[in-house]
Amino acid sequence: MSIKLTMPRLSDTMEAGTIVRWNVKVGDRVQSGSAVADVETDKATMEMQVFDDGVVACLVVPEGRQVPIGTLIAIIAEEGEDPQQVAASNAAAGVSSAGGGASLRSPAPEATRAPTAEESSARCSPLARKLADHYRIDIATLKGSGPGGRVIKRDILAAAGVESTEDMPLGDTGSAAVLGSAAGTEGITEIPSRSLAAITPGAIVPIVALPQPTIVVPGREIALSGMRQTIARRLVESKTTIPHYQVSMRFAMDAVLELRVMLNGQLEPQGVKLSVNDFIVRACAIAMQTHPYFNASWAGDRIVIHGAVNIGVAISLPAQRGGGLVVATIHSADQKGLRQISLDTKALAEKARTKGLGIEDMSDATFTISNLGMFGVDNFTAIINPPNSAILACGAAVEQPVVRNHQLVVGHEMLATLSLDHRVIDGAMAAEFLQTVRHNIENPATLLV
Amino acid sequence: MSVRMIEYREALREAMSEEMRRDKRVMLLGEEVAQYNGAYKVSRGMLDEFGARRVIDTPISESGFAGMAIGAAMLGLRPIVEFMSWSFSLVAADPILNNAPKMLYMSGGQFGCPIVFRGNDGAGGQLGSTHSWCVEGLFSNVPGLKMAIPSNPYDAKGLLKTAIRDDDPVFFLESERMLAAKGEVPEAEYLIPFGQARVCRVGTDCTIASWGRPVHFAVDAAEQLAKEGISCEVIDMRTVRPLDIGSVVRSVKKTGCLVVADQSWSFGSPGSELAAQVHQHCFDDLDHYVVRVHSADVPTPYAQNLEAEYLPNARRICEAVRVVTYNT
Repeated sequence: MSIKLTMPRLSDTMEAGTIVRWNVKVGDRVQSGSAVADVETDKATMEMQVFDDGVVACLVVPEGRQVPIGTLIAIIAEEGEDPQQVAASNAAAGVSSAGGGASLRSPAPEATRAPTAEESSARCSPLARKLADHYRIDIATLKGSGPGGRVIKRDILAAAGVESTEDMPLGDTGSAAVLGSAAGTEGITEIPSRSLAAITPGAIVPIVALPQPTIVVPGREIALSGMRQTIARRLVESKTTIPHYQVSMRFAMDAVLELRVMLNGQLEPQGVKLSVNDFIVRACAIAMQTHPYFNASWAGDRIVIHGAVNIGVAISLPAQRGGGLVVATIHSADQKGLRQISLDTKALAEKARTKGLGIEDMSDATFTISNLGMFGVDNFTAIINPPNSAILACGAAVEQPVVRNHQLVVGHEMLATLSLDHRVIDGAMAAEFLQTVRHNIENPATLLV
Repeated sequence: MSVRMIEYREALREAMSEEMRRDKRVMLLGEEVAQYNGAYKVSRGMLDEFGARRVIDTPISESGFAGMAIGAAMLGLRPIVEFMSWSFSLVAADPILNNAPKMLYMSGGQFGCPIVFRGNDGAGGQLGSTHSWCVEGLFSNVPGLKMAIPSNPYDAKGLLKTAIRDDDPVFFLESERMLAAKGEVPEAEYLIPFGQARVCRVGTDCTIASWGRPVHFAVDAAEQLAKEGISCEVIDMRTVRPLDIGSVVRSVKKTGCLVVADQSWSFGSPGSELAAQVHQHCFDDLDHYVVRVHSADVPTPYAQNLEAEYLPNARRICEAVRVVTYNT
């Protein structure tokens, strides 16, 4: 942009100034601080300095002429601008030069008064300025019809002799987002209707498939504890190498529950409190005498029948200890009574949940029991705990209508599900084992003596 | 095809009922919404259909029930909170402005707040200055919320269904002056996406942008101006957050001028925001600066004639259009 020099206010009372002498001529290079002219004010003759760098393109006011402050007196082309072009374009805008350097000293007292900066630029709407460019109309030649003489669209159209701007391409919508689109129309959906009540709604917006409503909480990652890594490794190994199958049987629990109440009542002073699980451990342990394949391991080329009956009991750990589960071993469970099984189980569970089990507490199990009955689970299947051949999954003893002696009565039943290694144990063997365990549970005197 | 005309309040009810049938998490609560069928009968019959667990009468305790509903939304429900009037929402400013719109941000994305607050906004007809609030200027200032201000039954239904399905808090502004207005609403389900304005009258000389009740004033003004030979294009913004500035820009590039009709007060309003954005995007396309027609900068008068004059009515919109088109 070229720099327009105007008559400065050089004293408080100055209203107009006279260019006594130009110290530069067209084509001269000036820099900030150059004294380009001597100006006579009402008080004195002073130097007029410029504050920009450039080349003098045009001296508008000749020497000897007095003009009001603010009047354009010279134009300076900035770096990179062609001074001649600057002068030419200003001439086109109605600014007439005071002449070349050679004629500077020949005053032209009645030279055309240049319009002020305000007059030449401010009184025009932005749209009118754009239209003037389009139709190549010199705004300075127009008298604006808007407020204060503002040149408006109407004035440009009149000067151009056109009725409307429909031939002008609409500009880009800038960075504004044009949202939505409907049936091939972009952005605005146009309804050529005069009143809102008469809108034809079917034409407005098609049904838009919105995402199903959900609250999305971002996921997170949990580093694996050593226990979780072990659980993962062993259970994947079990589930992918052992041919699992399941066999379930329903046990009538009334007798054992009744016995438990009686025993716990009598043994309370001794601090003994038997759980249902203790009875199941005992029932399974003594079943091993007649079903040795349930106390066995698959060894690739042979089956190993174990001598000791060590029953593993799955214990879940509290969240504050990192969660997970361990299998605690009740060694020689077939040689232990209910009281000892109960004490051993409680001690192991307490140890597991406080300071953690040692290796010896978790080794050598030959059969495992997992019981989710205390959580109200009806039925589930478990994954075999290698190198066991079987695991018993016990649900809750549920009070429910049952048929006893052809009568519908209320009784307690528990669903027990064996998971088995078919390489060691066949289905009929599983059924027989469950029958024995059921007999032990339903006739609990067996468990006592 | 037969044309089905229903009232604005029925359109609101259909939107809520359809969404409650579709999604069990959606519920309605507010003063008198259940037993009394709604202070303005918007929720008529909803208690019978959905029962007292999903259509809940609350005490006169906006801060309490709005806050409670925000908690329910954070934990997965999709409550619709009816304020009998948005004027009464001011006592619930802390939960609805300080909690709901900020929850997603402040919880680091753990809790959203999919809730709809809806009720009557603006001068309802001689309700006096404390019960005639236009809250769009105050509330649209807050990031994190969306705001829909439908002007007719069709938009009311489609926008409310979208609002209920939206995962962010939506402020849904109605008007008791429009509840009985009838409009065409099809039987078939439809949704109207947020941030999509609608041209409700096509014109060439001046754009008028508005939302909510003043859209009707703008249409009336456009009809009157047409007789004077001034052709106006009326755009119903439908939502102010998000604001479909693109539609206004396209229109202004055609007409070269814009009048905004906004029922809220002028200082710091959706109208001033729209004008600022148009000046930014359309600087070289404007033949006149944007003129805004707002409610007068005084508390809403009680007297009928003063209230009518206070509003951005058709006469005032006509005057503004004549100014921006240099037809004074």
